[in-house]
Amino acid sequence: MKNVAIVACGLAPFGVRKATWRELVQEASKAVFDDVQNLDKKDIDSLFVGAAMPERFAFQSHVAPLVAEQVGIVPHKVVTRTELACSSGQSAVRTAWASIVTGLSDIALCLGVEKMNMPNMLETQTSMACVLEREWDGVQGASAPPFFAMCAQRHMHEYGTTVEQMAMVSEKNHHFSTTNPYAQFQKEIPAEKVLGSPMIAPPLRLFDCSGITDGAAAVILTSEERAKEFTDVPTYIIGSGQCSMASNLANYKSLSTWHPMKIAAKEAYRSAKIGPMDLDFAEVHDCFTISEIIEYEDAGFCEKGEGGKFIEEGQSNIGGKMPINTRGGLLGTGHPLGATGIGQIVEVMQQFRSTVPKERLVDGAEMAMAHNLSGAANVHSILVFGRSPR
Amino acid sequence: MTTIVLPYMLDFYPLQDEDNTRIHQFYASLREGKLTTTKCKDCGGLFWPPRVACPGCNSDQFEWVELLDEGELYAFTAMLLGAPLGMEKDVPFVLGMVQLDGTEFKVLSRIGNTKYEDCSLGMRVKLETYDLEDGRVWFRFVPITSD
Repeated sequence: MKNVAIVACGLAPFGVRKATWRELVQEASKAVFDDVQNLDKKDIDSLFVGAAMPERFAFQSHVAPLVAEQVGIVPHKVVTRTELACSSGQSAVRTAWASIVTGLSDIALCLGVEKMNMPNMLETQTSMACVLEREWDGVQGASAPPFFAMCAQRHMHEYGTTVEQMAMVSEKNHHFSTTNPYAQFQKEIPAEKVLGSPMIAPPLRLFDCSGITDGAAAVILTSEERAKEFTDVPTYIIGSGQCSMASNLANYKSLSTWHPMKIAAKEAYRSAKIGPMDLDFAEVHDCFTISEIIEYEDAGFCEKGEGGKFIEEGQSNIGGKMPINTRGGLLGTGHPLGATGIGQIVEVMQQFRSTVPKERLVDGAEMAMAHNLSGAANVHSILVFGRSPR
Repeated sequence: MTTIVLPYMLDFYPLQDEDNTRIHQFYASLREGKLTTTKCKDCGGLFWPPRVACPGCNSDQFEWVELLDEGELYAFTAMLLGAPLGMEKDVPFVLGMVQLDGTEFKVLSRIGNTKYEDCSLGMRVKLETYDLEDGRVWFRFVPITSD
């Protein structure tokens, strides 16, 4: 299979932005084109836009041509939008990758964006409930926080995980985000503060949850053959796994083990010809603190049930067995749905280039993965990256 | 006929009559206090929620079967902040996954007549149906009391 490389990356600052959807697009576009050398916009033949709910957050459909115009390109091989809720950004990159592998596309721009803060927060919360199966689950008043709260309850019940361990995940990721000027949250949140924050859906409190965020992120992909024209340090895609299992909550096997994640991870490692501990660091989808703990386990970084111990021992920090979410994760950086997956890949690329601040640098990293879940953790998407091609 | 007050795209409840859905029988049974679903006549597959095409064997021949209307709490929480439009007045409310007796389904439902603090894992609950203000019908589960 043809090797594909990411050759440029750029971010719009994440946060409660005084900017519209299309202005966020322009900011990420400027950032990615500022980052790339020797690329004429005319040579971008494909565009993939990761956007989860522009219809509901920005009252706009048919967004790919809008992005193409804002960016100033005329894609003439593939132009499309990818929607997979919280994984919409990674979906754009996965689809671009597949298009380059087949030879259909030569150079592709992937741009992920979401504008979630609206004049009335109630509208955002209402739209978030349709990420679940709305007619049967959303209708009961369920949305992300209650779902993940029940995952936490089951994990605590089955494995003895504690709210203190969950709070440590929040503390770690908020600490990392203080090193990231593009992050929504810029202050340290010690574990005690997490445990004293307002209850949202027990046992989850405010700082167990990622934010409602505006943001955008972009990357440019091309084949290995052309990669060095555009950057000295390309980031290669060396493995992939993705799995969807169930939609209606009634049909879940478990809340404390995410079976589709185990399947996606197994396939990602198989295709990259590695084991989990061959990775030097990982970006995982910490939409809630409990998510990161379950993901340590189902990614294979520790034994089942030992995710709480993993954070407590500092194994997911710099210097631990597997540094996790060095840019600050979703908890610290915020979670603009369509931008999140690409924002994670920006971190991977900047780590490989050693351009992140020293306090979060994983020195000499050669391999990493980016993981997203979407919906009620029923879809898991993983890409594995290398500083060298396979 | 149903009169929907909210704009349809902000309305959470399914349209229930035969002009709008092929599983209108589900809602008609619910109105009689029964929880039902479809069973495939060809492969015997039982699915939640009801189907019009079998994801197992591709048949479109179904029969309606009544499910047991009791179960136990597999997991629960409460919505304290951030409820969707139209549900703000209900806050706080309890949500739970009900492991329905005799099935593998863990049906997500409001748990009525109780507080979060009074719920426990494994607590027995039973179905309760109720009318929506606009004439539609819906369901929740409530704790089974000893009396």
